[in-house]
Amino acid sequence: MIHFLYFDPGLGAMIIQAIVAAVAGVVLFSKNLMFKIKSFLGITKHDDEVFDDIDVKDSDIESKSHSDNQQ
Amino acid sequence: MTTNNRHSSSFRDPSGFIFIDQGVVKRSISPLYFEQYQALKSNGVFKKLHNAGLLIPHEELSVSDSEIIIQPEQIPFFTYPYEWSFIMYKAAALLTLKIQKFALEQGFALKDASAFNVTFYEGRMVFIDTLSFDFYTENTPWRAYKQFVSHFLGPLLLAKYNGVESLKLMNTFMDGIPVKMIASMLPFKTKLNPFLYSNIHLLAKYEHKHNEDYKGVSKVSKLSKKAQLNIITSLYDFIKKMSLDESSEWGNYYDKTNYANDAFDQKSTIIDGWVKQLNTNSVIDIGGNDGTFVRKIHHNVKQALVCDIDNNAVDANFKTLKINKETYMLPFVFDVLNPSANIGFNNKERDSFLKRIQRYAPDVTMALAVIHHMTLSGNIPFELSAQFFSSFSKYLIIEFPKRDDSWVQRLLNTKGEFKAHFDFYNIKHFESCYTRYFDVIEKVSIDNSEREMFLLKSIHD
Repeated sequence: MIHFLYFDPGLGAMIIQAIVAAVAGVVLFSKNLMFKIKSFLGITKHDDEVFDDIDVKDSDIESKSHSDNQQ
Repeated sequence: MTTNNRHSSSFRDPSGFIFIDQGVVKRSISPLYFEQYQALKSNGVFKKLHNAGLLIPHEELSVSDSEIIIQPEQIPFFTYPYEWSFIMYKAAALLTLKIQKFALEQGFALKDASAFNVTFYEGRMVFIDTLSFDFYTENTPWRAYKQFVSHFLGPLLLAKYNGVESLKLMNTFMDGIPVKMIASMLPFKTKLNPFLYSNIHLLAKYEHKHNEDYKGVSKVSKLSKKAQLNIITSLYDFIKKMSLDESSEWGNYYDKTNYANDAFDQKSTIIDGWVKQLNTNSVIDIGGNDGTFVRKIHHNVKQALVCDIDNNAVDANFKTLKINKETYMLPFVFDVLNPSANIGFNNKERDSFLKRIQRYAPDVTMALAVIHHMTLSGNIPFELSAQFFSSFSKYLIIEFPKRDDSWVQRLLNTKGEFKAHFDFYNIKHFESCYTRYFDVIEKVSIDNSEREMFLLKSIHD
């Protein structure tokens, strides 16, 4: 792999990712659960006006979404 | 032929390098990276990222056995991480994670996660390092994870808990803030948060524990793709929710006001008229707060750099341009008393503000309600500020608050017994110093205020 030529990722940082991922899994699971409960009760917050979700939308990939800009 | 003008910042990654060909930025790709490049191209990954506006678009210029040359879309003015506001920094972090997740789904991964791989361009943060992608190998951890923490998560946390000025640390720590240092600077309560404990404090411990493994014989660590996606997603969710809870000195500047509404409108009409008269394409507003005055320009300006020392003003500007989908606005954090210097190897990796702005050479510089701060708070003599302003733009629109202005009085009063040393702060002396560098084209008083507007033209070219 080409990246071996480039910089040291930190051995500790490579090993620790298993733990970080496990914690993240628990956090995400409980967040999803809370979200489901909240949306069931109808108390979900509206979307962030500046930042969207992590997933790249299909519509963005297909069309030039940023070409509709003015100026 | 191409290696002659290799860009002085482009040497870290052996996959290729940036060079300047007659003023045009191009990228040379080494045979080392051909396989990755062709795969990214044929799988449509580049195209999808370009279309989504996440990666800077490029076109392929030539292909040979020894080199592929591509030309990315040219970015007229670069800002660096230490010039971003908190929300801009957040946007860059989220962009990097978004790209990593997308890449993983396509069978690739980011091999690095440097904050310098991102810049602000046409109304959004955009990834500029086309060669950052590598093939994803099943069950391998993210090699750029630590880099992401030291370049993005760490600085954002320090900004939140220790003050937003911490983002300027990136000016010193170009390779990211050491994780150990981040951990040591964060308050104890961050250890009680499982997400922060694992991503920062435990990481710092592990790094410390393993950094003496010089033999490099350690076992290969494994991580499933699902687990890696959990890391990426949880980082994304956490960073997306981060906010600052400090109030700003300037945040409500226009509400506090030294201006009657009429004076405010008159000032913007004057500016608009001059900008139109000069048929301005590009402008920099120094001390531009949240971009209010630039947005009052009706003339069609192609690009407006709006910088301010106050993070919250720049944040507000960024939010506004996002909501309005403006592409001409370029906000950044800027301290006129200490502009970014040339840094990095040979002092040539990152250009100083002055170098970049002189290359960019905006048609008009605006300096509204800023000269009294430079002169009275920064003690910069009129001669020096005039020289500074004349060094990168042909035209200068400058507002001079006279001695009796309430802000000027406030600043003078802070001088206490030395107030008399600042008797030079008057419009006559201002004009005599500035006319050494500029011709006065027009001069207008703002009604019912102690302020005077000048349109000046630089004498030297």
